[in-house]
Amino acid sequence: MTDNHLYSPFVAATRNVFQLMLDLSDVSDRSVENFECDNELNISIGVIGDLTGEVIYRFPDATSLNMVKIMSNMEMDVVDDFVTSAISEIANIISGNALTILSEGDLTCDILPPALVVHDDNKEYAMRTNCCISTSEGDVCLEICLNPTIVN
Amino acid sequence: MLWKDKYELGDSLIDTQHKELFQRVETFMGTLRSADSWEDKVQHVNETLEFMKGYVVEHFRDEEVYQKSIDYPGYEAHKQIHLDMVNYVLQVSDEYERSGFDEKMMQQFGGKLLAWLINHVASEDQRIADYAIKRKEQAND
Repeated sequence: MTDNHLYSPFVAATRNVFQLMLDLSDVSDRSVENFECDNELNISIGVIGDLTGEVIYRFPDATSLNMVKIMSNMEMDVVDDFVTSAISEIANIISGNALTILSEGDLTCDILPPALVVHDDNKEYAMRTNCCISTSEGDVCLEICLNPTIVN
Repeated sequence: MLWKDKYELGDSLIDTQHKELFQRVETFMGTLRSADSWEDKVQHVNETLEFMKGYVVEHFRDEEVYQKSIDYPGYEAHKQIHLDMVNYVLQVSDEYERSGFDEKMMQQFGGKLLAWLINHVASEDQRIADYAIKRKEQAND
């Protein structure tokens, strides 16, 4: 399995979820090179099964606030418990949908509940890829960090 | 308004219940997010939460009856999603009561509920609508 086998399902799932839940039609993916952000939510979705590791969703505060505003029809000024929980659920839904796509290629994985983490580039993974998803409401960065599970 | 016409399934009972559910969640969020102090709004939040616990179970049951009536092939999986959500709502409600009505817990619940409901109705439930349309077309062929 190559990194690209991971990249495509997560991009497709993110695009689909943003379209269905937020009515965003202008969703595109690009390199994370120019992904800049001072304040962000880092949400980790743990993966277990044939692959183990995590997918970290980096939502800049402005993106989080814009997206929750679309869902709730309410002004959001601060990334508080409500906003964090709503965005964590979006990350949860995207991950579940991406693993469903991966399961069509005979990979069986499950996800763990969302957890807030500090972004750390130094962990070692056999498969590591990332992407930036651009939308009219702001960017989101995905760090996909997985290892194949070794069965003895 | 949270409700969108694209969420309609085509069954009048289910669509009416979905609209009611969205309306209740909207009211719940309005109270939860208001500038009032927690002491001033906690009773209203608790009343809405109690209503939703009962209404969600009633709606899920009616929706499952509808799925059975059209032989929806995803019935078992969809029922499990409903069961998981009911268990989550009951668990949070229980912890919330035991915490002495902790605001942080309810704000977290509100955020998840909003995203879950939109995804469930816009995505999972639309599969039922797609199947019902296909089934009707096949019956007419």
